[in-house]
Amino acid sequence: MRLAGRFGGAALSLLMVAVLGFFLFRVVPGDPVVSMTRGRPTTAAMQAELRAQFGLDRPLHEQFWSYFTSLLQGDLGTSFTFRRPVAEVIGERLGPTLLLVGTATLIAVLLGLWLGVRAAWRRDSAFDKVTTGVSLTLWAVPTFWLGMLLMMVTGDLFPSRGMRDTDTAPDFVSQALDVGHHLVLPSVTLVAVVCAEYALVMRSSLLEEMHAPYLTTARAKGLRDDLVRRRHAVPNAVLPAITLVFLRFGLVVAGAITTETVFSWPGLGLLFYDALTGPDYFLLQGLLVVTAGAVVVMNLLADLLHGVLDPRVKVV
Amino acid sequence: MLELRNLSVHYGPKRVVSEVDLTLAPGQTLGLAGESGSGKSTVAMSVLRLLPRTARVEGEILLDGDDVRTMSWGRLRAVRWAAASIVFQGAMHSLNPVRRVGDQIAEPMRLHGTHGSVAELLEQVELPREKARAYPHELSGGQRQRVMIAMALACGPRLVIADEPTTALDVVVQAQVLAVMKRLVAEQDLGLLMISHDLSVLAETCEDLAVMHRGELVERGRTREVIANPRHPHTAALTAAFPVIGDPAHRWAEPAPEPEPLLQVRDLVVDYGRTRAVDGVDLTIGRGEIVALVGQSGSGKTTLARTIMGLRKPSSGRVIFDEAEVGRTGKALKAFRRQVQLVLQDPSSALNPRHTVFDAVAEGLRVHGLADEQEALVTAAVERAELRPASLYLESLPHELSGGQQQRVVIAGALVLQPRLLVADEPVASLDASVRGEIVALLLRLRRELGLASLIITHDLGLAWQIADRVAVMHQGKIVEQGTVDQVLLTPSHEYTRALLRAVPQV
Amino acid sequence: MSRFDRSGLAGAAVLAAAALVAVLAPLLIDAESLDVTRVTADAWQPPGAGHWLGTDHTGRSVALLMAQGTGTSLFVGLTAAVLSVGIGTLVGIVSGHFGGLLAGALLRVTDFFLVLPALVLAIALSTVLPRGLGTIVLAIGLTSWPSTARMVRAQTLTIEARPFVERARALGGGHVHVIGRHVVPSVVPLVLVNATLAVASAIVAESTLAFLGLGDPTRISWGAMLHQAQLHGAVPQQAWWYLLPPGLAIVAVVLAFTLVGRALEAVVTPRR
Repeated sequence: MRLAGRFGGAALSLLMVAVLGFFLFRVVPGDPVVSMTRGRPTTAAMQAELRAQFGLDRPLHEQFWSYFTSLLQGDLGTSFTFRRPVAEVIGERLGPTLLLVGTATLIAVLLGLWLGVRAAWRRDSAFDKVTTGVSLTLWAVPTFWLGMLLMMVTGDLFPSRGMRDTDTAPDFVSQALDVGHHLVLPSVTLVAVVCAEYALVMRSSLLEEMHAPYLTTARAKGLRDDLVRRRHAVPNAVLPAITLVFLRFGLVVAGAITTETVFSWPGLGLLFYDALTGPDYFLLQGLLVVTAGAVVVMNLLADLLHGVLDPRVKVV
Repeated sequence: MLELRNLSVHYGPKRVVSEVDLTLAPGQTLGLAGESGSGKSTVAMSVLRLLPRTARVEGEILLDGDDVRTMSWGRLRAVRWAAASIVFQGAMHSLNPVRRVGDQIAEPMRLHGTHGSVAELLEQVELPREKARAYPHELSGGQRQRVMIAMALACGPRLVIADEPTTALDVVVQAQVLAVMKRLVAEQDLGLLMISHDLSVLAETCEDLAVMHRGELVERGRTREVIANPRHPHTAALTAAFPVIGDPAHRWAEPAPEPEPLLQVRDLVVDYGRTRAVDGVDLTIGRGEIVALVGQSGSGKTTLARTIMGLRKPSSGRVIFDEAEVGRTGKALKAFRRQVQLVLQDPSSALNPRHTVFDAVAEGLRVHGLADEQEALVTAAVERAELRPASLYLESLPHELSGGQQQRVVIAGALVLQPRLLVADEPVASLDASVRGEIVALLLRLRRELGLASLIITHDLGLAWQIADRVAVMHQGKIVEQGTVDQVLLTPSHEYTRALLRAVPQV
Repeated sequence: MSRFDRSGLAGAAVLAAAALVAVLAPLLIDAESLDVTRVTADAWQPPGAGHWLGTDHTGRSVALLMAQGTGTSLFVGLTAAVLSVGIGTLVGIVSGHFGGLLAGALLRVTDFFLVLPALVLAIALSTVLPRGLGTIVLAIGLTSWPSTARMVRAQTLTIEARPFVERARALGGGHVHVIGRHVVPSVVPLVLVNATLAVASAIVAESTLAFLGLGDPTRISWGAMLHQAQLHGAVPQQAWWYLLPPGLAIVAVVLAFTLVGRALEAVVTPRR
């Protein structure tokens, strides 16, 4: 029952994403063709042609229907600037983003949860004060600025633009090393900001559990302090923390957009920046639908994972 | 085996336990009684050094001759659970929610290298061995408490400390859990230190009784003697608070002639989704009459009260007040609610912590748009509820008052609208024993002076004996028996009533 | 005095200073010194006697730009936070107090927007709407309310489950009475805390939008300065004086709001 409900909810959310993606770019004031061709010499005839090409001259419900049916077939329309299918353009950029976001999230989750647990367990210790202070400060730092700073401070130590150099040897090892080298600064930037958030979340989640009576039971049994923490407190505190980590996946997405922009990392984030500077509404719409859809799916996964990990949640 | 010498505990400047001396020999059972804040739980926790770091402990806590206070951490960990174990109150929160209970029972055995099997331990507390695979939330309250007992026995300790082990359990379940504890203590020749606010529970299980009051030990002796001839006035107040059913001295209500009906409930049915919480109830409350509605938790008595108040919609049936059917429209209900007032169990949560006494009492006047003479009406109601002089209390916030005073404020808030019927849901259950009698007396005085009728919802048969004219017994949504107090409590006709009466611990 | 009191006071002091700068800057700085066509100084001057924070790529004084930008950042942060917290509080109370279809739908919508990346939505909104301060405020305010709504809803549900609300109902109190006398007073402190934290994230969001070139092109803000710095190659030129001040100012103000918010939170929800 619950499982079906979750899938149904996710499906409804995806539908809402599709609807939102369509209307956000249609119902707003102003003519999309006018704003997309802003700053370029265009005649009225050319604009009319563009409108016909993108189907903007048809009634809204017809537009929506054709948009929606194509979307179901994986067709996200045609990019205005690239003059190619949006799905194709997005597909090309997916790999680099997955690499960056995946690396950064993995490191940030592990580091953040560890920091949060240690800080909460020794509340008000020097470790806690430093961790909390640094996390709060990092939380206040705009991601892009941190990237720019890192870039300036490290100078020539790490490459700061793109994902690989053109003159690298074509064999796999050299290529991988080159990509890894390029990956350092963007992922450090992303980890710093995201990890701070995770550490704060984990810390407050564990603090919530600190006064739970079952910890007194565990102590009364004669367990060592670190066993009380490892066996009893953390398994309880980590559940809400994991949910929150997934719930704030949007934060990672936002971080990826600015990080990729700063470091010209050829992923979806940079594509976002290109699309909004155009502006290329069709590309932007495709990106919105894809990222929002991905977040909805991530959330569903988090929900299912929670059901597996927490015996109090009945999966069936 | 356990010896406390001159034990004092301070939290900052506040002294919560002062100079307590206690000894417990192997095989001895000792009850430690006291009201909330008397320091009894602090004493229990100090035995295994489980008090928070902020607590300052003085004196000696000798466990088998060793002072727990000065033990090394390693030695202390070895002593914990192996020499003495604890049955905590509120097993729901004292068990780890995400681990199987079997693992939790086995954990101290592995830790201390004790041999034994979880299945045997579960059998000892009369639980099927398959329950080892259950998580705490899958067990009932009574089952969880049995798991706690099994866990406490896991390492074969010679001393078991039970901290309010049956609080929050139903009377019937409480009787079962107490029986298990009593049997195991006798079989295994355990020392038992049982802490409770409920003298009758201690009287049932312990040979010796010690009474604490404001951090001090005021009385200690054989349980029977202490209860029969209390030497300290506080002990006397505690014993008086537990009425003995059938004892005319504990019956405070004056017999009243058969009154005319004020509120009539006819064939009331309430469904909660698929379950039928109230199943065709007929109930009549006369003018100025006090009716007790008794039953276990889950019997539907609270739902019935809420439905009478119009807080829940009935599935079918009628409520007739003063010979007119109560309508279900907002206006009709509002008019009805001026006549019928609700008094809730826990006064500390029945008052908005941000509202002063004046605001809380005046709330009903504001709701009904009675702005005139607000001050005079509020003052009169507060004084009626015996908070005198009212001016002393009007500007107080709830947390500045004691539990008894808070309950008086709730009652004043009901009185201010000059109702004709009070519906009181467990009005004394969360009050300290010594305050309980005062509130009971107040309800009776209001009936005498104002002709105020009451429907008292309670699990406590003693309270029914003390205060009610008539008793209705509710079981699985039905009223299985009703009649005068003497009929129902002294010569019960229904099997369920007899079971309830048997479960009442005898002082 | 606890650690939170002290850091909260420090935060409040930073905010007071920022507010003072924001109010005084437009009064003291004449427009000419920030007009690209009128400035006389050289571009990319490091800090020195004439310009104690150096100059930007057009020769304008970074110090003056900083002062001028304070107002924009604070204004957007505050108004967007008020908008977002306002929507969130309303949605939260309505969906918490009233049951039924309306509450279900509101909850659904809240959850939907809660998981969507707010920045992506804000980017989309500010791309389609005409550039301007109002757009930025709308874009941030309309996308960041769900967390407030969730929190207010949870608090509303907690309060409504308390016996004193049942008592109020039993006294005959209707929706207006319960919401007005019990729910709102208990929600307000939390909302204040939340608003403080919302200002902090709104300022970061504003700087991000401005950095992506979606800001109001006619106004100077700290994020817009960083946009210019990125666009005109402040990093390769090692022009730290153009990069550090706006970023540090953002961090200081955001951290100040956060610290004040946490200090308020500690007051509102006392430690157990």
